[in-house]
Amino acid sequence: MGRDNPAAEEALNLLRSRLCDPNFIFKPLSDSPDSNYSKLKFLVSSSVTEACNNSILLLGPRGSGKISVLELVLNDLLSEYPETISVIKLNGLLHSDDNCALKEIARQLCVEHQLLFSKMASFDDNSQFMIEMLRECGLAHKTIIFVLDEFDLFAQGKQRLLYSLLDAMQSVTSQAVVIGVSCRLDADQLLEKRVRSRFSHRKLLFLPPSKEDLQRLLEHILSLPIDSNIPHDYAVEFNGKLKNILADGRFKEIINSFVDLDSTVKHLLRFLFRAVSYMNLESGFLSLENFKTALSNSQRQPKQECIKDCSVLELYILVCMKRLEVKEQTSYNFISVMKEYKSIHDSFQTPDYYSRNVCLRAFENLLQRELISFADNRGYSQSVEFRPVKLLISHVELHQGLKSYRSCPAILLKLVER
Amino acid sequence: MAKEKEESVQISRRTTRSSATAYNNNGIESAKPNVSHTPTLDDLVFGQEPISLDDLLSSFPGRRVQILELLRLLGTINSSMPPLFIYGSASTGKTSIVLQIFRRLSRPFVYTSCLSCYSPRILFESILNQLLLHKKNAVNGYSSAKRCEKPSDFVNLLREALTNVIDSLKANLGKTSTTKLKGQVNGRMIYLIFDKFELVREWDKSSSILSFLFGLCDILKMAEVGVIFISNNSLDTYHSNTGYVEPIPVHFPEYTEDDLRQIFMRNQANRKLYSSFLDVVLRPFCRITRRVDELSTAFSMLFKKYCEPLNDLGVVPNEEMKRRLFSHLQPHVAPSLNERFRIASQPSLDCEVNQETRRKGSARKSGASGDLDEIDFHMSTSAKYLLISAFLASRNPATLDASLFDSTGGSDSRKRKRKASEKSIEQKEAAEQELLMKGPGTFSLERLLAIFQCITSVAEDLLGEEEEGNDKLGVELGSNTLMSDVLLQLTSLCNSNFIIKGGSCPLEGSTRYRSTVSEDLSLKVARSVKFPLSKYLYRR
Repeated sequence: MGRDNPAAEEALNLLRSRLCDPNFIFKPLSDSPDSNYSKLKFLVSSSVTEACNNSILLLGPRGSGKISVLELVLNDLLSEYPETISVIKLNGLLHSDDNCALKEIARQLCVEHQLLFSKMASFDDNSQFMIEMLRECGLAHKTIIFVLDEFDLFAQGKQRLLYSLLDAMQSVTSQAVVIGVSCRLDADQLLEKRVRSRFSHRKLLFLPPSKEDLQRLLEHILSLPIDSNIPHDYAVEFNGKLKNILADGRFKEIINSFVDLDSTVKHLLRFLFRAVSYMNLESGFLSLENFKTALSNSQRQPKQECIKDCSVLELYILVCMKRLEVKEQTSYNFISVMKEYKSIHDSFQTPDYYSRNVCLRAFENLLQRELISFADNRGYSQSVEFRPVKLLISHVELHQGLKSYRSCPAILLKLVER
Repeated sequence: MAKEKEESVQISRRTTRSSATAYNNNGIESAKPNVSHTPTLDDLVFGQEPISLDDLLSSFPGRRVQILELLRLLGTINSSMPPLFIYGSASTGKTSIVLQIFRRLSRPFVYTSCLSCYSPRILFESILNQLLLHKKNAVNGYSSAKRCEKPSDFVNLLREALTNVIDSLKANLGKTSTTKLKGQVNGRMIYLIFDKFELVREWDKSSSILSFLFGLCDILKMAEVGVIFISNNSLDTYHSNTGYVEPIPVHFPEYTEDDLRQIFMRNQANRKLYSSFLDVVLRPFCRITRRVDELSTAFSMLFKKYCEPLNDLGVVPNEEMKRRLFSHLQPHVAPSLNERFRIASQPSLDCEVNQETRRKGSARKSGASGDLDEIDFHMSTSAKYLLISAFLASRNPATLDASLFDSTGGSDSRKRKRKASEKSIEQKEAAEQELLMKGPGTFSLERLLAIFQCITSVAEDLLGEEEEGNDKLGVELGSNTLMSDVLLQLTSLCNSNFIIKGGSCPLEGSTRYRSTVSEDLSLKVARSVKFPLSKYLYRR
């Protein structure tokens, strides 16, 4: 791409890498004293300096920056007290099994303290090792921070890991912080009684950013640095144009209509990424148009798209099924759909009447598109024709889909509207 | 695009390469010296001459918007990317476009299809094998480089492997930035592509695996890794307990009629002729399906028929000839619309059979699908009787067997019929509805054999009365009542899916069978052995 502007390419790369790096995004939101960042940092650093045990839950919807803020805090603390902190990170998606989790803890502890890790160690060995290490670290005034991502998944099963962790923290000698991160607001209710009584019940709630924060965030993310290897004049011009866009009423409208759907930061980042990647490399500046196309491309209606993809015959089958449902037939299968199809053909003399085999193929295509599905999971031995089916779209959706279909037969619309 | 897919399958992407490229392996040492070909990082790119943007766009008609959008989202070299989710119905060119885009960009990627990697373990090991440049062969006993079953092990191994690959990519970047060779790795990004992702939903513990794979980027936290999911179904059909951060969706809509015309016009020897052919067939077929793979099989057969009156295939058709060809094809279009789209496994054989039937002038093509007719011909007489008895056993209630198959040979059944029809209409409708819903009933082996014996004896009687001369069939039937033979026939019918073996009955413990044959077909079979089937059918 020789004709393109190298400065613009560099700027685009910078913006893209920023949008993929959550640590960069959450920096500006952490200044104020009542932000989650300051609270969390205060809690953890006090338990590090005062050598006590602690446990905290970070709760908030997916993509609201719990892990990113925690990372920021941990990075700061690691640079402040490099000698006295070691961090163990677990993820509920990977280590919800107790055995697995303890093995991972042992592995990370070994890596941290340059010990030899044995893959063959049993559950008991590993838990013994962990408790031993907790005591040793406590004696050496080192804090171990356990980060449990997807905390709710650790609460499945017997919760042996949580119990042994929190129980070990009851003694005076140990020195550890357990930080649970979850998108379930009722995560602490999932705990067993013996575990809950050992938990501190400190919770930090992560809320979506306010309108002012959002504005600040946008500016922080999208504006180019003046003092870097990007040409100075270009960066200044870029920022000037960006300011105009950000102040534009239409832009605010776009952002608002997007944030109304889902106001988490991660969601917004995905949107911005789309907009930024549409940037015209020749001119090298963002335009309002980019955001508009990004909005129209990210607000999708999958079911409508799916109906638009259907062929006319498939639409006939959908309409037949809808009619059967309106007739309050409790359950129906391909054979009864075909009966309905034939009755429509008999009464209206439609041009689209095909043999059973062709319809069966269209029916299977619909199953594959997941516009319809089998009503139950039983009866695998039955052939497709006889298994009861159901529609996966509402009647309104079907009606809208038919209306926006390019060349929908008039008879189908008539049948649906009745 | 069916054609493009075939091409990309044929390309031996990561199989052995000519030794010419093995010379310039860029300092990445292979772990196995005894393998003649040393795998290099170059094996992670597409492995062919990169194509230009114009070629890319022109080889996928109707996909311009999607290709440009994907290129923009993938971005310039070395730019990081959040996970992408590409979706669209079958045969809309998702996989082939993504692969061709990577061929154009010549960036390294790891492609896995959840169809061939049908369990988490196989998926994980396949990804690791490709990253570690490990090839299963006889020397290592076709084993994987690393054995891992759990996501936790996978993440550790994956991180390690990715770090190695990215490090060597960066080293590469410094070394060969000036000279660009064919098929050389470009940039320091590496992409993981998961094809047929919708199949993951059917795996065991799919909920946790789904959220794990969707969250793979966040778990790895490596800016150099891009993840691309390719799926038939949209994101709203993926459910998991606590949700996931949605990847960026890119939709591939179904081709429009104009797109289809362009696709089918590609690589045609005689474009004018083919376009006049498409004028005839494309519109009616588009009302049934717009899938390229289904259409291309249907069109290939029809086009042969279209060309039949022509001596020279290179001819440019004028108006008059078009009309003549049209009138030649016209009678074939409607029946082929009503024929099930065939997957032509042996197209030549199929065509021959078609031609034969046409020469005979028989009108049997009109109704049911052709291949069932063929099987009908090759079936032995006893197998036909077995098929009929299985159909009867599935259709009729077991309690009526005694009265239907008594010594008088089913003459009693008419009384039964009349009695049944005296029931009130509502009840009848309800029963009919129930029959529709339930489908064919199940039966035990004993019942099937009893019915089989009854109807073969009846058939012998009938044949004895009506066709004195044809005692050959009777002899054959007499010898076919041997049990072992019938059981063998039953197994072969089961294998060809005319009869399905159901679960065993909880009370009796014996296997239950179920016939899948439609009434039309069984009537046809009965007609071919001159068996009065309708006499034995219980009508509600």
